[in-house]
Amino acid sequence: MGVDEQLSVQERAHLRFEAEEFLYREAELLDDRRFDEWLGLLTEDIHYWMPIRRTTQAKDVHLEFTKPGGMAFFDDDLGTLTLRVRRLSVGRAWAEDPPSRTRHLITNLRVTGVADNEMTVRCNFQLYRTRLNSEEDSWIGRREDVLRRVNGELKLARRNIFLEQTVILSQNLSSFF
Amino acid sequence: MSEAIITTDRSSIDLDNCYNELTGVLDRRIFSDEAVYQEELKRIFGRAWNFICHESQIPESGNFFTNFIGEDEVIAVRDRTGAVNVLLNSCPHRGNTVCRAELGTTRSFFCSYHGWNFDLDGSLLAVPNEDAFYRNDLDKRQWGLVAARVETYKGFVFATLDPDAPKLFEYLGWVGRLGIDMMLVDGDIRFLDGVHKNRLKCNWKFAVDNLFDWYHVKVSHGSAFKVGLVTEDAMAPNDQMVILGEYGHGIGGPGLTHERQAEFDQRHAAGEGDPKWYDLHASHRTDPAIREMLGPIGFRSFGHPNIFPNLWVTHTRQMCLRIPRGPFETEIWWFNYVPADLPEAQSQQTIFRQNHIFGPAGFLEQDDGENWSHSTRGAKGTQSKMRPLNFTMGLGRDKVSNDPSGQSAIETVVNEHGQRWTYQSWKEWMQADTWEALMANHSKPPEGNV
Repeated sequence: MGVDEQLSVQERAHLRFEAEEFLYREAELLDDRRFDEWLGLLTEDIHYWMPIRRTTQAKDVHLEFTKPGGMAFFDDDLGTLTLRVRRLSVGRAWAEDPPSRTRHLITNLRVTGVADNEMTVRCNFQLYRTRLNSEEDSWIGRREDVLRRVNGELKLARRNIFLEQTVILSQNLSSFF
Repeated sequence: MSEAIITTDRSSIDLDNCYNELTGVLDRRIFSDEAVYQEELKRIFGRAWNFICHESQIPESGNFFTNFIGEDEVIAVRDRTGAVNVLLNSCPHRGNTVCRAELGTTRSFFCSYHGWNFDLDGSLLAVPNEDAFYRNDLDKRQWGLVAARVETYKGFVFATLDPDAPKLFEYLGWVGRLGIDMMLVDGDIRFLDGVHKNRLKCNWKFAVDNLFDWYHVKVSHGSAFKVGLVTEDAMAPNDQMVILGEYGHGIGGPGLTHERQAEFDQRHAAGEGDPKWYDLHASHRTDPAIREMLGPIGFRSFGHPNIFPNLWVTHTRQMCLRIPRGPFETEIWWFNYVPADLPEAQSQQTIFRQNHIFGPAGFLEQDDGENWSHSTRGAKGTQSKMRPLNFTMGLGRDKVSNDPSGQSAIETVVNEHGQRWTYQSWKEWMQADTWEALMANHSKPPEGNV
């Protein structure tokens, strides 16, 4: 049963408002480089995943993304995400020193599923990064996030990131999506 | 302040003098000169045995995987006889690519422009309106896809576009073969689905240079040390071994000295003793059959092989191709494998590690690209490119030791022997007009003092 059949318009509008508030605030923390606070928005069992995408023939399109548990650009839990954040503050993390300037744009947001204390939120994003004098990268894609209510507050429990690029056109992926 | 400046013709690079193996000084314009780059595509990539794929990536008839030889697109495909063909991905009619996917399965390669259709061995099967428009004048036998020479070594598929190249086995030599054998110490392997690919704004040779470089580790990857992801003992030990092979193949990095190996063997036999940094490596090399395969020197090496020109083998069950995309851009492809019979839980551990160390989001590799790109920028400046680069570390201070088996190595501390060998060999490839000339004039790995 779809969300539109489960919930009233008012309930859906409320959930969407909550999701927007959460994801916009989360994006703001990342762009403000408040990474420790960002970690505070994640559940203990967060799974943060970006599969590898490939160009395939139309008939092989089931091969387009690598499968969960296989090769991926990101396949992180709270431990590795915390390491990524810690790395930035200990020195010699050259990909981010000088720090990148990032901007997360989030759009086409929809709550696509609700269950118990969780909701699934789909959105499109653009992550724009510029570094040093003139380096520019832009990643566009789709996210599928699971937000969970923990002690009355929303937290991010799962993030699946589907980039449009197959060959990553940037020299690294040192930003959070 | 350095007064060193390249005093030869300032307007164009002099290949004969761009690298001086006696002084370890390199003309950095080899990283930025467009004419040099075009010659590299012809003389190196067009001539070498290039790694294309592993047989396990295309197990069934019709399975294909696309790759590059230099900037030329090629298709590796298994045909109905079970053979692997490597075909130039360019229709002989108008040049269009006949395969646009990275991987998949097909019965034939059908050109999307006019419909010429090619069999899995590259032969031209049919062209539309052959009778009415070509009046049956087309000799289809003459107009198939160009098929590269293909040979495999233990499941690794290589191809060359030069009919005069030596056999792959001979090309690899014992050092290139050792580099591949190191991947087989846990038995047969299968490649995993998914190749991490990304682009760096660097010359491909800076990426190759770096794989021999155990000097940069603590600096470039300092953050990974500081958060405890890697340890100094494992990643930057002082015990180093360099193995050099003909045609530019080389292996450089950690290596156990005879003494350490003897100590390990003694502790291992006794089943006791405090763990040492090298146990992580050495414990994979206790099987007599593995020692036999790798040889008396090879089995003590845990360095990074480079199969010339651009295939880097790591000890994380990964290997990396550095594919040129012009003098200022390189595509990095990470292939991942596991032992064929590895239990699922252990495969998951390997995959977790593979996903987190290298690749564009990897804890180590994020920071590499930044350095190589900026080194490449340094080879562009009107003034900076005229200043030579320093490859003098350890030059003339070490000695090659030979084993009765025929294997040889330089056992020393952190050094730049591997890089010097790469540029010396690179120069010889660039100077040779043919394979015959390269075979006659390339340097043999050094003996004595180096």
